[in-house]
Amino acid sequence: MVMDVLMSRLELVVAVGDRRTLLRVPVALAPEPGGPDRIGACSPAAEAQGVQPGIPLAEALARCPQLVLVPPDPVAVDRSWEALLIALEGIGAAPEPLAPGEACFEIAGLRRLYRGLDGVIAAVRRAVGWPGLRIGLGPVRFCAQAAARRAGPRRANHVHGQTELAALPVELLLCRDRTERLPAPLRRLGLTTLGDLVRVGRGPLGERFGTSGILAFDLASGLDTPLTPRVAGSELRERFELPESLSGQLLDRVLGLLLDRLLARPEREGRTLRTVVLEAALVEGGTWRTRVVLREATADRERLHLALAPHLGQLTAPAQTLGLFAETFGGPPSQALPLLEDGEERRKARLREGLRQVSAGSGEHALLRVVEVDPASRLPERRMALAPREI
Amino acid sequence: MSRTAPRRLAMPIPATVQAEHSGYPRVVDGALVEAVRESWLVEDRWWSPAPVRRRYWEVVTRGGHNLVLFRDLRTGAWYRQAAMS
Repeated sequence: MVMDVLMSRLELVVAVGDRRTLLRVPVALAPEPGGPDRIGACSPAAEAQGVQPGIPLAEALARCPQLVLVPPDPVAVDRSWEALLIALEGIGAAPEPLAPGEACFEIAGLRRLYRGLDGVIAAVRRAVGWPGLRIGLGPVRFCAQAAARRAGPRRANHVHGQTELAALPVELLLCRDRTERLPAPLRRLGLTTLGDLVRVGRGPLGERFGTSGILAFDLASGLDTPLTPRVAGSELRERFELPESLSGQLLDRVLGLLLDRLLARPEREGRTLRTVVLEAALVEGGTWRTRVVLREATADRERLHLALAPHLGQLTAPAQTLGLFAETFGGPPSQALPLLEDGEERRKARLREGLRQVSAGSGEHALLRVVEVDPASRLPERRMALAPREI
Repeated sequence: MSRTAPRRLAMPIPATVQAEHSGYPRVVDGALVEAVRESWLVEDRWWSPAPVRRRYWEVVTRGGHNLVLFRDLRTGAWYRQAAMS
């Protein structure tokens, strides 16, 4: 059985900080610096006035003129979320983070450890310590997600499968990136519940909406992919507290200093950097964060500097602190050059490099390859399969 | 760490088909069949506990789509399938 833990409005609660009374009035997250001009998570009071997360700022203010905007704090959200995931791992769970504030994990092993389901729920609530925590349970991830969205803050909710999903609204598809655009067109077509989707059938949904439609049908039928728990990695993070708020060329120098420190860390063990996160605390309040996937994994200081420095231009205010965080790594850099260049080998190396980039940018499960299983079979479904691509 | 399990390609997709008494498909998922290009019988895995008996049809719909569908002769259910030759 899968458990889904949901901390709704995590980004807003973290951004509000100690000013908890703000959550009782219409309040929303301001658009991120350098990002689209749309608001983020909003309080229940704001939602009651017709404000929805993701709508343009001007529209939000037109619907609710007294709306209070707080600057987003992605760095603090990241830190809080990491602490919550570590707390879950501390009780023996192997969580799959779905979004900041939501994670799923398998509880078969935990039930034995905590003597039943009630023991597991109590252990999760103790570990997370989040007052409005919602807990959902189901045979697969989507059922658990649906259950968590209908759970109260004190009682866990169960959704056992397709029969219970059938009566639930299509808006539950918003909880997946690949199906989040479907609820609006489905409603226009008169399909309001997940049961309506199942009745329409997999073929027509696939024809109208492509792979998203097929996924929506599978989810509505109570089917989902297996969980992929996160891999605990060694953290490589450098932060520099600036004596005074800086911007422009001076900040560029600080970036160089951070790179020197990061590359000198012994934990790097000679590995190249694949994905780097640059973050800053702004003098006007709030934080800024950007994730840079390098075209080629490298440990060369100059190349890293060239790739990262242009992003400092997105800062909307001088920074008080600047941080650098290595998220994923490439292999160790090759030391020796071959005497004779082999064109085919070089092409294969480039292809492998490209695949690693795709894997770092889109997740390791994005890479699949077609393998022949029984190519001479008269049954088309027995001929080929999609299998994970090892790099 | 769990990995994505291998997934078969060209799995049959259940289809809603209106057919004549002779088995000739007329309407596939709401689309009228304009012409039948080919039809063939597949009998396979008769040695196993799950033998396969299918009547395949390759049809062209009025909208111009080329579809491959089959009727499971054991259950009577209709399916669409991607053609992988």
